Amino acid sequence: MFRFSPSCSLRSGLRALACLAAALTFAPVLATAQTRSMFSNLANPAIGMNALFTGQAAPNIDAAYGLGFDEAEISLISVVDPYWTLVSNIVFLPDGTVDPEEVWVRSTNIPTLQLKLGKVRGTFGKHGLLHTHAFPFIQGPIIMENSIGGEGFKDAGIEAGWLTPLPWYAELTGGVYQAIGADDDHPMDFGSTDHDNVPFLGHFKNQLDLNEATTLEAGLSYLEGRGLYGNRNLSYGADLTIRNVPPKNSNRRGWILQGEYIQRDSTTGATYTKLTEGGYASLQYRLSQVWWVGVRTEQAKDSFTDFLVDDTGAQIPGKVNRSSLNIAWTPSEFSFLRLEYSHSKADAGIHPTDDRILLQVSYTIGYHPAHAY
Amino acid sequence: MKSLIRCMCALTFGLLAAVPAHADLKVATSLTDLASVAQFVGGKHVTAQSLCRGYEDPHFVPAKPSLMKAIQNADVFVSTGLELDGGWLPLVLPGSRNPRIQQGTKGFVDASEGVDVLEKPVGTVNRAEGDIHPLGNPHYYADPKNLEVVANHLAEVFSRLDPANAADYAANAKAFDDRMDASLAKWEEQMAPYKGASVVSYHKNFDYFVDRFALKLFGTVEPKPGIPPSPRHITELAGAMKQAGVRAVLYQPYYIADAANEVAKRAGGVAVEIATEAGGLPGTGDVFSKFDVLVASVAGALSGKTGAQQ
Repeated sequence: MFRFSPSCSLRSGLRALACLAAALTFAPVLATAQTRSMFSNLANPAIGMNALFTGQAAPNIDAAYGLGFDEAEISLISVVDPYWTLVSNIVFLPDGTVDPEEVWVRSTNIPTLQLKLGKVRGTFGKHGLLHTHAFPFIQGPIIMENSIGGEGFKDAGIEAGWLTPLPWYAELTGGVYQAIGADDDHPMDFGSTDHDNVPFLGHFKNQLDLNEATTLEAGLSYLEGRGLYGNRNLSYGADLTIRNVPPKNSNRRGWILQGEYIQRDSTTGATYTKLTEGGYASLQYRLSQVWWVGVRTEQAKDSFTDFLVDDTGAQIPGKVNRSSLNIAWTPSEFSFLRLEYSHSKADAGIHPTDDRILLQVSYTIGYHPAHAY
Repeated sequence: MKSLIRCMCALTFGLLAAVPAHADLKVATSLTDLASVAQFVGGKHVTAQSLCRGYEDPHFVPAKPSLMKAIQNADVFVSTGLELDGGWLPLVLPGSRNPRIQQGTKGFVDASEGVDVLEKPVGTVNRAEGDIHPLGNPHYYADPKNLEVVANHLAEVFSRLDPANAADYAANAKAFDDRMDASLAKWEEQMAPYKGASVVSYHKNFDYFVDRFALKLFGTVEPKPGIPPSPRHITELAGAMKQAGVRAVLYQPYYIADAANEVAKRAGGVAVEIATEAGGLPGTGDVFSKFDVLVASVAGALSGKTGAQQ
């Protein structure tokens, strides 16, 4: 039988105080533990961001000099489940718009075959596969923006890449895409509303090791779809890359010799029209861990570019030859600064020649996947 | 006609019978050390190859498509783990189109599992400290005991994938451990006179060796991981070495020999080229010969008998 006494009351009070103190001490811990188990962030995707800024001094362009904001690209990558990995690159542009540049899944459990499904960067050529901050030169080749797109062919679709059983790396890729009309990003008009208009792509890539340091890569690409007026629009290209990375100096030395040719055509009935053609040849040379230099020469026929305008200021097509020289300083893997000079000569327009100097800085934070070889 | 068909059937079955009853386990690894351990553990049942050469910086392996092709038919891929191969493996593995070795499958092995990892960052990882590894120092293969952990791990994996030869894998792993223990006793004896001695390494990839043989890491030729040495850092490091009486500068074949030599020259010490990965230098074809040469090189540098006085 419980009997009240002063000493008992004191002990009970102390016990109650101890319980209260313990509750106050451990309650947040318990609450946190509960929160963690309910809302785990352990399966969050790898997140990274690249910010790119470019300044340009181009006397023939009607624009103020100075450093400008190019884009901020946020990438999210994660395994979806045992069958798919999702890759996305969301680009924030200077005009305030947001472009879901790439949002696609990649299959992970099909032997010899890889499926890509979603908004993809079509597997066409070499330069067309690069993100802006991975361009070897600040300015992309002129033929790109006049054929498949300045940053490559980007569209929703499905691609299948088959690694053939040939003794070297030989990949055959086929893709089908959504029918879309021409715009600033897509020079090729695939806007036919016919139900059977399914733009398609074919790509054959080969890579061989010439020795332990030098590789040879050769590819062929083809892209076709129907335009708004029923015409067949197509581009095809060929690329060749010889790359040297000495194993003992893989982070300090090496060079890349690369060339690419692209032609864009259109046919209406039996009438064939070559719309534009061009290509480039470039050499990048690594001087040290932090210094790269590069030189490129290119030509684009019947092509538009920013300085090629008539006396009313309207853009006109012409044949353009351009030579570029650049030097890049990469103090770490996560930032670079590069300086580029280019000289162009055109056969039309009020400014037949163009000289410009560009400066670009790039910063990357968080996770950034390695760029393709 | 019937006899022709019989003859063709016999020929076909004959050819099929000539094919071995089971193919070897084809093992690919990120590092030469891991391929060497896999070959010891797998013995005649395994063919192991490394994608990175012993004289190639394991942080910066070009993700060549030919590497993807090389592992297209592999049964097992052994990654170094701790993100040492994080700069190239995320391209090479999916590019192989080989579902057997993708991360999360039975054929993918993180060799760092079970290893007592050094230098795990505490708190937030900050790249102001250089290109640090967020999961800890991944160069655990510079400690012979850690390779025993890898060997036992691989024996388990091989046994799961090829149960018929499980006894062989277990026996090979035991033999590997025994040989490594015996070798370690010999190497510890060689290093015993230099307990507590200080060395300078080019990169923070010598810490496990330092820890195992009770040396001290005085500094690194790189000011921060992944950042090339500046003239100022070289001057400061050499000055500090001279003041502290540290003489040995150790660098791998894939680092800038001139920078290591300049530090040693100014400090009045020696710069010695070492292989921390099997195959990095002549005579280091497997993990045992690698440690034989490595221990001899380090002991020589600390004794002052190896390497020309700079």
